[in-house]
Amino acid sequence: MNQLSSETFAENAKAALADDQLRDALRHATTLFGKRRSEAAASLSNWEDLRSQARAIKDDVLLHLDRYLETFVQNAETRGAKIHWARDAAEANAIITRLVVERGARNVVKSKSMTTEEIHLNAALERAGMQVVETDLGEYIIQLAGETPSHIIAPAIHKTKRQISELFTAELGMAPTDDVGQLTSTARSTLRERFARADVGISGVNFGIAETGTIAIVENEGNIRLTTSLPRTHIAVMGIEKLLPRFADLDVFLKLLPRSGTGQALSTYQSFITGTKRNASDEGPDELHIVLLDNGRSRMLAHPVTRQSLACIRCGACLNSCPVYQQIGGHAYGSVYPGPIGSVITPQLIGIQKAAQLPYASSLCGACREVCPVKIDIPRLLLHLRVQISEKQRNGRTKERLAFKLWAAIMTRPKLYETTAIAARLFQRWFKLPVKAWTSGRDLRPIETESFREHWRRTR
Amino acid sequence: MNTGDARAEILRSIRTHLEASKRHDAVPSASDSAVDSNHEASLPLSRQSLSETAVAEVIQVFKRNLEAVDGQCVVVHSDAEVEETVKRITEGREVATPNASRSDLFKYEVGVTAAQAGIAETGTLVLDSSVERNRLVSLVPPVHIAILDASRIYPTLSETLNALHSGAELSPAITFITGPSRTADIELTLAIGVHGPQELHVIVVQNKS
Repeated sequence: MNQLSSETFAENAKAALADDQLRDALRHATTLFGKRRSEAAASLSNWEDLRSQARAIKDDVLLHLDRYLETFVQNAETRGAKIHWARDAAEANAIITRLVVERGARNVVKSKSMTTEEIHLNAALERAGMQVVETDLGEYIIQLAGETPSHIIAPAIHKTKRQISELFTAELGMAPTDDVGQLTSTARSTLRERFARADVGISGVNFGIAETGTIAIVENEGNIRLTTSLPRTHIAVMGIEKLLPRFADLDVFLKLLPRSGTGQALSTYQSFITGTKRNASDEGPDELHIVLLDNGRSRMLAHPVTRQSLACIRCGACLNSCPVYQQIGGHAYGSVYPGPIGSVITPQLIGIQKAAQLPYASSLCGACREVCPVKIDIPRLLLHLRVQISEKQRNGRTKERLAFKLWAAIMTRPKLYETTAIAARLFQRWFKLPVKAWTSGRDLRPIETESFREHWRRTR
Repeated sequence: MNTGDARAEILRSIRTHLEASKRHDAVPSASDSAVDSNHEASLPLSRQSLSETAVAEVIQVFKRNLEAVDGQCVVVHSDAEVEETVKRITEGREVATPNASRSDLFKYEVGVTAAQAGIAETGTLVLDSSVERNRLVSLVPPVHIAILDASRIYPTLSETLNALHSGAELSPAITFITGPSRTADIELTLAIGVHGPQELHVIVVQNKS
């Protein structure tokens, strides 16, 4: 599949709507995740309190981000971690490539990380001649297929087991099977070999703890534990917003994240890594490098509405709840972060001109806001971005502006409204309204033969 | 490229943008005080303070939650019973202990470790790497057997986190384990044992005093 662009969102979405297999898979996945999430949330009596607490903690972090970053860095460095600062994707890729090259490494194992997707790290490392393998099962599948993730927590949600079997048969020499256990164990044994000879492991970070310099990483498969335990060098890539003040704050976030993502009370594994090993004979990597990435994040602090975007913990709940995502899936958004949260993050990360359609990829129904574990007001954010876009396009939208002026004039004059309505009703059969953009994807209901006012006068 | 510049520039950008946001923050943020209040309230229960019936209850909750995520749990009362149980599970298969060499690790079928704590409300094991070499033995072999002292099971996640951080220093690697390794990445069909163990057995040792 070719890489889709956010600039062609409308076409991407149309193509996705015509893909029945994709829509079946999406319906199944989003329904199941949604059901599990609401059951998991209901299993805790204080769910709403937890959400408020989580948001308060994140607000505190963001309002004092400079201080928390400095505390985190100092505590991590004291315990042996090396810290690197990256202003943008290119700088992060350059730092990581240099670290890998300096160590004479050839084989890199990676665990799933949206942040490394955001900076397109794999391509950068491959250009430098590295063998990079994704070790999360879903990520491994789409890497073999040359595709990109379609869901934050289930990257290969769009592929059937038949397609995966064909892929493994072609790429790994496996005998065709429709047994998911067989597919999984094939991936396990192939990846075991890659782990055994890996020189460098690269992971993301779910939470960085300021008071201890700890990084916390959450998973189900065990590939993150292997990535962060086996190779001599561990590089962790972390957005600057990922901090929590205290170790005890994990209580709130470890309750919210797995329940919102997969509906589990706790994901299978949490790794809490605090600096490097204390004795040379201990297990684990000799070196820990933490790459702190800005890449447009600090800009989002400039307004309370946009600042919320940085509270996101990447659980994927808003994707599952979104009636737009449910129909078109992740690829149509043409960006690393799909769904409602992607529609607000992407324009802020890559520039609003390059993703101007995304803030409109929503009916503003508010389902995302309802499920968000950190109470991000995504509809408000979408509107905020729409205002910015329409201000930029002020001159390009004269027809639309004229139409709304006319609409306002009619709606504020009752007599004019009534005559216009009668005229519209009489002539609607002969006139086509210039609303093809709307009707190509939806039906426009005809105007009723009797207006409410007429009905009221006749029947009361 | 100079990393020192990047650090200064990112911090400056954060400060500048936060400063710019002040004029939009109509109400002063309540979050400065919102955070600390709730947390100090839930100080760690001294784990030893639980009565014998409470301990039995905590063990049962732990067992139930572990079994709900496909882990297996046996409660025993003596060291002899521990040994017997390990033998029964391993059935003569080769067993790796924390002393196993790294190069041999991939050959073993069973790994045996201790667990330094447990969390009842989630059925979770806590492994602390500063106590023994447990990171790979608990992860690489297809079967993991963990031995857990019942008096180290905390009722809640919150108490466990507080206990872990009550000392001066956090251990360099702490791992929480809740059930065997799992994935649902192919058509959302659950598969157990993708990268980590396919089987997790926890032997809870409850010594009658």
